[in-house]
Amino acid sequence: MQASRARLFKEYKEVQREKLADPDIQLACDDSNIFKWTALIKGPSETPYEGGVFQLAFAVPEQYPLQPPQVRFLTKIFHPNVHFKTGEICLDILKNAWSPAWTLQSVCRAIIALMAHPEPDSPLNCDSGNLLRSGDIRGFHSMARMYTRLAAMPKKG
Amino acid sequence: MQNQEGLQADGEVDSATSAPSTQFDDWANFADNDIMQQQSSIQAEEAEKIPFEPLSSLAAEYQSGSTILLEKIKVLSEQYAAIRRTRGDGNCFFRSFMFSYLEHILETQDRAEVDRIKANVEQCRKTLQSLGYTDFTFEDFFALFLEQMESVLQGNEDSISHDELILRSRDQSVSDYVVMFFRFVTSGEIQKRSEFFEPFIMGLTNATVEQFCKSSVEPMGEESDHVHITAISDALGVPIRVVYLDRSSCDTGGVSVNHHDFIPADSDLPSASGSKTISPFITLLYRPGHYDILYPK
Repeated sequence: MQASRARLFKEYKEVQREKLADPDIQLACDDSNIFKWTALIKGPSETPYEGGVFQLAFAVPEQYPLQPPQVRFLTKIFHPNVHFKTGEICLDILKNAWSPAWTLQSVCRAIIALMAHPEPDSPLNCDSGNLLRSGDIRGFHSMARMYTRLAAMPKKG
Repeated sequence: MQNQEGLQADGEVDSATSAPSTQFDDWANFADNDIMQQQSSIQAEEAEKIPFEPLSSLAAEYQSGSTILLEKIKVLSEQYAAIRRTRGDGNCFFRSFMFSYLEHILETQDRAEVDRIKANVEQCRKTLQSLGYTDFTFEDFFALFLEQMESVLQGNEDSISHDELILRSRDQSVSDYVVMFFRFVTSGEIQKRSEFFEPFIMGLTNATVEQFCKSSVEPMGEESDHVHITAISDALGVPIRVVYLDRSSCDTGGVSVNHHDFIPADSDLPSASGSKTISPFITLLYRPGHYDILYPK
């Protein structure tokens, strides 16, 4: 508990210091609880998520950094490796391939990379995975694009 | 917002989009996480059962097993008195190495060895920094290992006894941190000398050196192989003997037990410069898939 708190505090300071270094990620800690974080990440360019801003929620376990943070999308996203209802993310580094060398910041980077390179063969969202697996790139793009517009872009006045 | 290209399919998804986002506040949906938690509680239970036993217990274990193994155990018992079992959770090599090394320091009170290892640990720190690792990702693990090493040296305020060392080695909050320290050291060494390690890694998996470190060295629970042992032995400058107990037999008929000594590449051990052979003070027993600690007579 103490160890995880100390580590998170170091990450917090690093985030404050590096705030401008990565304009695609805005990571913030809950005011009253250092084990709860949220992030806003920008959809990578040349993907159907481009132009969208997606919110992630982090719940950090007491055994952190030996155990991975739990991360999920709060913003609705149509992606083979993200559960359409819960926002759960299927990404190896958040499960078995986790190591303390990762940070909350680098997890965000890995999630952005996952958005750009979906793995349709291990889908959490089967509809999305099936579109890609059957080669219907256009269908996948239009669905993903639509949800980006509906959920991840500010409504124009 | 305008609906333009390629939104022919929108009719059927309208209803799903209106789902309120507040329903996602329930963390109970993390099925994978539940599985991981259950697994670690089973492992914690198993950890209570790591006894120190005479070698005869090993023979008892294979009583109705292969005769080659029983004969090999007989050969082993001529040289080795006892075995200390390590929990089998994929970290057994590192955990065996940790306990064996700290126990050696506790028994010998070899301060020169401690100073030597500290210098090597500093080198490992620099290696990780030069590879681009952020200090705070590994420094806690380094600090905890150095703390353990100080505490097995007697005469300090926080010196610990052999019993306490056993307790700490079973305490996951200590033990897992030390295992992780070794994993960082191993990963750093492999990446630093990637040209040397690359052919071995190619032989094991299809991965690049960096992928191998990210997927098979740094994550907890990933089993150790020749590559890991070579790297940590080199990085810390600690020779390790691994005795192999398997069903292989030699053609000549007689039963012998193979062992392999991992001798640090750039060894700065005092005896390394001369013609004297280095005899490792850490001896591990390898049975396919698992490492335990062996105690010579």
